[in-house]
Amino acid sequence: MSTRTAPMRLNLGRFVVYATLAFAVCFYGIPLLWLFVAGTRSEASLLSDPPFALGTWEAFTRTWNNLTSYNNFQIVSWATNSLIYSIGGVLLSLAASIPGGYALALSEFPGRKLILLLTLIAMITPSTAVVLPIFLEMNLLGLSNTYAGMILASGFFPFGVYLTYVYFSTSLPKGVMDSARVDGCNRFQLFTRIALPLARPIIALVAFFSFLAIWSNYFLAFVLLSDDKLYNLPVGLTALVSGSGALSNLPSNDVPIKKPEVVLAAILVVLPVLLIFMAAQRFVRSGMLSGAEKG
Amino acid sequence: MSAIAMALDGPLATSDRARKEKQKARRDARMSYLLLAPYLLLLVMFGLFPIAYAFGLSFFDTIEMVFWGLTNYQFVFDDFRVPASVVNVLGFVAIWVGMTVIGVATLSLMLDSVGRRTANALRTVYFLPGAVTSSAIVVLWLFVLDPSVSPFQPVLHGLGWGTRADVISGVGLAGIFAIMAYFSSSGGWIVVFGGALASLPVEVMEAARIDGANRFQLALRIKLPLIWRSLVLMAILSLAGGLQLFVEPQLMGLAGPQFAQSDWSLNQMAFQYAFRMGDFGASAALSTLLVGASIAIALVIVFATKFYKID
Repeated sequence: MSTRTAPMRLNLGRFVVYATLAFAVCFYGIPLLWLFVAGTRSEASLLSDPPFALGTWEAFTRTWNNLTSYNNFQIVSWATNSLIYSIGGVLLSLAASIPGGYALALSEFPGRKLILLLTLIAMITPSTAVVLPIFLEMNLLGLSNTYAGMILASGFFPFGVYLTYVYFSTSLPKGVMDSARVDGCNRFQLFTRIALPLARPIIALVAFFSFLAIWSNYFLAFVLLSDDKLYNLPVGLTALVSGSGALSNLPSNDVPIKKPEVVLAAILVVLPVLLIFMAAQRFVRSGMLSGAEKG
Repeated sequence: MSAIAMALDGPLATSDRARKEKQKARRDARMSYLLLAPYLLLLVMFGLFPIAYAFGLSFFDTIEMVFWGLTNYQFVFDDFRVPASVVNVLGFVAIWVGMTVIGVATLSLMLDSVGRRTANALRTVYFLPGAVTSSAIVVLWLFVLDPSVSPFQPVLHGLGWGTRADVISGVGLAGIFAIMAYFSSSGGWIVVFGGALASLPVEVMEAARIDGANRFQLALRIKLPLIWRSLVLMAILSLAGGLQLFVEPQLMGLAGPQFAQSDWSLNQMAFQYAFRMGDFGASAALSTLLVGASIAIALVIVFATKFYKID
């Protein structure tokens, strides 16, 4: 602005920057905003009113009742399942990651390098790559279609071990451990009395990432669970859609699941993660920087 | 303790000390294995064993349970749908990785050149769709791509697309899946690169500015080279994830039977073999190939780059 030679170019550059950023706001923001607005509208309103017309409270409660009571409150049990898988899986991944990452960071023992290498490979390999092999294995063990099978498979979270390993290797001073040892702590007390109290931030970070991975896992649940009583929400959502044909624009049937109900079910899948994201955006930054997250 | 050891300095004491050291190391190792036990159990159960089991199974006729060498692999390669799905997946990966690298780099660099508060607000908007995952992405985009309800209705009509079928054939399936995946996965990367760009050395930026670099040159000649390696890592990780594509094509049928794509991607083919044909051997063979590709990519990242350090 201060020079007289370049204002034209500068303005054009600025215009391009802001136009691109605004275009991106539309691309990322509009579908998400639309989803939440659409949850309040009736089928007729979705089809004929402008895209962002607000719905009514009546329409919303009718949709809500249709969705929740459908098939004997099926969606409620799916949501409960999702919670069970997520809480069980997060607890298991913590129970495995925190002591495991601590041991890898602070002690020397035969096989340590190999375990670290396997952890890295397992972490970079997309979890979807191993879903069918896991299905074949669970079939062998008789664990497909069980809560235990889903929770066990969800608890394997090598990224959590790596995050914990990085955290303890960089933030736990060796001196603290040595002096605690001199003070008569045994090896197990070193972990429970010294390391665990310092581990609060990493516990939160690992819980955050493993919750995200488990809550939204579709492929594993889809392959392992064939009994619709055991479905999680992402699989339940697709069962609702395919059972009702709500997205197909075919002649309507008497199933009470229409477009608004599907939108509301999708909101149920998205909302918990969205709330956690809003509360913890900084987690993502710190976590993804200390070990890039896999797609 | 060391004082006593020094006082007793002698051949007997040293061997005693060595033995004690050894004992201590052994006890340390035992404790480490104990702490690692839950993780190692899961690593074997859901990492090593399934991969080894699928690998073994891939050499068997799993219906009669007899060894038949490479027959399953032969069967997979002879299935005409497999080369087609290779082409599909590679097309998807090319579009998605291209979109991700260009989109994330452009938006990150642009955000780094505007005011901090604006940048933070916009970054949040780009990041929130990351909450829309797996089946919800597909359901949401089947609405968005349907001109009768889409919030982008005017745009879709403007392009001459009146029905969802028009949109899908206009954009192409690979492009549609790439848009879905990009919508949800790119915001997290933009947050990451926001952090990376903010931590670039201030002196370098100052020096470049004093040398007369404008915003555009600063972004292209200074910042881009400094984040280039991270962009490459992002591209490789996206490539590894993209090869495993399953959910997006698998759920296209939600829009109606005429949109169903049950054998579009490689993972879908592996799924089809196991679930539609009951041929676990063929499924294991194709899964083994897919896992092999992922592990190869992982090994390249671990050994050829320095992103993940194991001291």
